[in-house]
Amino acid sequence: MFSFTKEQKVFDISGIKIGGQPGTYPTVLIGGLFFKGEPDFDKAKSQLKKMYDLSRRIGNPSMPDFFVRKEEFIEDIVDFIEKSTPKNQPFSVDIIDPNLKIKILEALHEKKLLSRTVYNSIHVGTTDEERKTLKKFTPEAAIIVAFNPKDKSPDGKIEVLANGANLLDKGLLDITKEIGIKKVLVDTAAMAPGDNSGASISAIPVIKEEYGLPTGCAIHNVVEKSNWLDDFKDARKPVDAASNINIPLFGGDFAIFGPMHNSDLAFPMIAWEDILVSEYTESYFGVEPCDFHPRRKLF
Amino acid sequence: MKNNVTTTVIGSYPVNIDNYDLMNHYFGQKEILWSKYIESAVNDMVNAGIQLVSDGQTRDPFVNIFYRKLGGCRIRERPEVIDKIQYNEPIIIEDQKYVKQIIPENRQLIGLLAGPHTLSQSCVDLFYNDEKELAFDFAEALRKEAESLQKHVDMISIDEPFFSVSMPDYAKELIETVTSGIKKCPVRVHICGDISEIIPEILELPVDILSHEFKATPKLFDAFKDHSFSQRICLGSVRSDKPVVEPVDDIIKHIRRGIDVFGDKISQLAPDCGLRLLPKGIAFQKLKNLVEAGEKIYDR
Repeated sequence: MFSFTKEQKVFDISGIKIGGQPGTYPTVLIGGLFFKGEPDFDKAKSQLKKMYDLSRRIGNPSMPDFFVRKEEFIEDIVDFIEKSTPKNQPFSVDIIDPNLKIKILEALHEKKLLSRTVYNSIHVGTTDEERKTLKKFTPEAAIIVAFNPKDKSPDGKIEVLANGANLLDKGLLDITKEIGIKKVLVDTAAMAPGDNSGASISAIPVIKEEYGLPTGCAIHNVVEKSNWLDDFKDARKPVDAASNINIPLFGGDFAIFGPMHNSDLAFPMIAWEDILVSEYTESYFGVEPCDFHPRRKLF
Repeated sequence: MKNNVTTTVIGSYPVNIDNYDLMNHYFGQKEILWSKYIESAVNDMVNAGIQLVSDGQTRDPFVNIFYRKLGGCRIRERPEVIDKIQYNEPIIIEDQKYVKQIIPENRQLIGLLAGPHTLSQSCVDLFYNDEKELAFDFAEALRKEAESLQKHVDMISIDEPFFSVSMPDYAKELIETVTSGIKKCPVRVHICGDISEIIPEILELPVDILSHEFKATPKLFDAFKDHSFSQRICLGSVRSDKPVVEPVDDIIKHIRRGIDVFGDKISQLAPDCGLRLLPKGIAFQKLKNLVEAGEKIYDR
């Protein structure tokens, strides 16, 4: 285990603490809803309840990540967020299409939900129109995806954050700063198996040491894309959940752990790793875990 | 064209990269193919009538193409040397193979190497603390690339813009190192900027063609008058730093001035430098006018 020489930022995002030296705050767990498209709000309610219960029991903060695939879903999903998520809890909206991203920002603004919104995400494909809308309707925080099409190594991820890798007029960090978003989480951009997928893990300490920002990734995506695991069908779900322990092990701050219905496996696994990290960092570096750390709940 | 005068480019060509498309490849976890950008640049050169085309250096600024693949280098906020320079894998070979497949049979291909001095001067050295040693290690790596490259191109160009900023005592040996394994094709060195004070040193370089920006720095015509030399000349004839298309007559006048100085030593007509920073439409029209001017002079 290790400690970073760079001062580590800790953000309070609508009541959730994220970031810091390894062993201080537990990994924030981000579970996805509506990945397949059409929302099933009854299922979503029960999955949310389960995730929040686990979060309370174990100590790891959690956050729902709402996928929005079509414009026709925006109104219902935003209504659901307003009515069915706790008023003091953050959530993220996870959208690919820039036009939908613009529309949901307007909808979140109208419902006065931007102060709880984590925008997922800003990246090399973020359009000028999207940047303008983000300046007008600025969310509380944003996830930056450090994907560099030219270089998938940790260095390449730094490059795209720092200067845009000659694909953008400036680096992703400066773009986000210019928009006015102060709370930035860096997603190290997990790639498919065989495509430098391990770099999303090794980049975590590199980026934290360089910028001191809360860093994590969706490492479970690598498992999801694995054909090799087709030969071990029973192992797929545990491997998917277990892959997330790499994040706290490498000093990371958040895990986008996949579909929310995987909470029952993901939460105890990651909490267990958080406990191990905390024990080591306290004995070696004197880093004390925060009051709500899972290690406090274990002993 | 008659008289063996060829229209060509110095290297880079503008390209409009679709970042959203690149990001969609990430979201879909699909392989990113750069071929469409190479094709876009090469097609423009071919359609403008350029005879000796390049791959357009669309992937990166030209030095970064080399830093990205050479061992010992990394690119973060800026290129850095963090270990001994090593040649680990071919750098531009695959792109040249691709270009050869897509150009018509009556067109040729020039392979572009960033020069060792320019590479040593364009990065932050965190390992060597000795710029000569660093430059020679770059040269050795480039020698290996050049040896393979000659099998896939019709000419090799070594781009050394930094010679016009600081010409090292060992410039000749550096270029010799790079060219020592090239037996199958001619070699051009491109040095842009004001080189009027270093012409004697440039004439020592073991290359076949000297390429300079005569359009932006016309005083070079007078500077060359005092020297006799065996190399042929690539005459920079349209500006690469100004987004204004030179009329054909203006280019003809410039080439005639070049002929007055160099006569039949002129073997190539090209832009002054890479066109990467110009709008694509303007770069295309500049090349088109260059070709038309060349044809009017040499095909008459």
